[in-house]
Amino acid sequence: MASGNWYDSAIEGVLLDITGVLYNSTDEGGVPIPGSIEAVKRLKASGVRVRFCTNETQCTRQQLVDKLQRLGFELSVPEVFAPAPAACQLLKARGLTPHLLVYPGVLPEFEAFDLGAKPTCVVVGDAADIFNYETMNNTFRKLLEMDPPVLISMGVGKYYRHGGELMLDVGPFTKALEYAVRCEAIVVGKPDRNFFLGALQDMGVQPQNAIMVGDDIVNDVGGAQKCGLKGLQVRTGKFRPSDEHHPEVRPDGFVENLAHAVDLLLQHRKK
Amino acid sequence: MATMSRLRAVLIDLSGTIHIEDAAIPGAVAALQRLRERTTNIKFVTNTTKESMTTLRNRLSRIGFDIKQNEIFSSLTAARNKVQEMGCRPMLLLQDSAKEDFKDICTDDPNCVVVGLSPDSFNYRTLNQAFRLILDGHPLIAIHKAKYFKRQDGLALGPGAFVEGLEYATGVRATVVGKPERAFYQEALKTMSCVPEEAVMIGDDVEGDVQGAQTIGMKGFLVKTGKYRLGDEEKISPPPEAICEDFPAAVELLLKEYL
Ligand SMILES: [Mg+2]
Ligand SMILES: [Mg+2]
Repeated sequence: MASGNWYDSAIEGVLLDITGVLYNSTDEGGVPIPGSIEAVKRLKASGVRVRFCTNETQCTRQQLVDKLQRLGFELSVPEVFAPAPAACQLLKARGLTPHLLVYPGVLPEFEAFDLGAKPTCVVVGDAADIFNYETMNNTFRKLLEMDPPVLISMGVGKYYRHGGELMLDVGPFTKALEYAVRCEAIVVGKPDRNFFLGALQDMGVQPQNAIMVGDDIVNDVGGAQKCGLKGLQVRTGKFRPSDEHHPEVRPDGFVENLAHAVDLLLQHRKK
Repeated sequence: MATMSRLRAVLIDLSGTIHIEDAAIPGAVAALQRLRERTTNIKFVTNTTKESMTTLRNRLSRIGFDIKQNEIFSSLTAARNKVQEMGCRPMLLLQDSAKEDFKDICTDDPNCVVVGLSPDSFNYRTLNQAFRLILDGHPLIAIHKAKYFKRQDGLALGPGAFVEGLEYATGVRATVVGKPERAFYQEALKTMSCVPEEAVMIGDDVEGDVQGAQTIGMKGFLVKTGKYRLGDEEKISPPPEAICEDFPAAVELLLKEYL
């Protein structure tokens, strides 16, 4: 491998995180991060293959794509990889019936399952306002009724930025349940290895020729690096200055934002 | 058994040891009186996150126990002492009943977070506020880290789960002030003018009470009431100093061999 910079290697495919890289979410929907709309267009026009890997679990992929298209982004549902479909695949493969602790917006993704039946697993997502003592305790009891408890977590992010403030993500609530029940959650979505590899396979690119661009140093950057991709950290979204000296993850590069990453990538791209 | 040193202080657990809910353990009121005739260096230590000192004392006196406020040392007292010692203004994730123990402490513009069992505070908005304070570098203090507790309608999530979640989100470890932490017992002994080796802890929780106390050098007496389950005494090493049928039996043994 070249000793130098991340953009000196032969990059054929790029995985893009969505929240904090393409746009910042707000109560009103969201605001594009300056330069990101153009950056996606330029990347696609260059022939580099692109997929979107998000841990968004508050809505369906269709709703997410609709929202981003309205903001001006060029993307389509088949290009988007999200935890809910990954969770559904796992449920089907194992014949599980879920108890859902999720945001109502994502429920349509689970319409194939009988939510009135006695659950054999729990699926947790970023449920935001739905997280309270009552719903957590109810979920805890569902887990206690299972032998052994099966807890599936759609991502394990610690927090994200929303409307200028940091908000708790699903991870802390998953950890709370793990601690109380003494179990270990199965994680779907980032940083699960299968999640990254599924997106790579879909675009037909080997890990060593791919890069992940994200604002979450552990789940985006670190997760991708563990699969053999390069991981690039943007200084937008949930990025905090302390991420520059993270105790566990050293990104292959830091960039100001997605536009900066695409500039560097296209300037140095091996033809 | 030959007793090497005389004991000079007695710590006693409340729930499960001298009472269960609103009923005294049979013989416990009289046993406590007998104990008081021999020593006045007694403290009642408990891991409550809901009941203020006044609530605890009123309940005990209703059952028939004559206990002074300054004889009670609870995990809430420990948290309060900790906050004062650090000079912090706490954000209190506590039920109103427990906040009473903090009523003369300033909570404006908070710069630390105290978490107990507080269903009313475990909502997304409040947890986010606590999270941001901790992420900004302010300390997290946990009354205790119990995973769950027994409620009338079954097991229910304890404060430990939410503490664990906040720890994960922020990368900060909580300072736990309740049993079985060493600091809890050290703090409880502070005003009893004795070294840990001269003190005994009597309780029904083999880990929280007996092991916790024995870790700092105290003696631990396990009573077979309350949450005691057959075989509990084998769960810890070294084993309890003594295993007693109930609190009156523990007092008998103390009077006969240790005091
Ligand atoms: Mg993100
Ligand atoms: Mg007890």
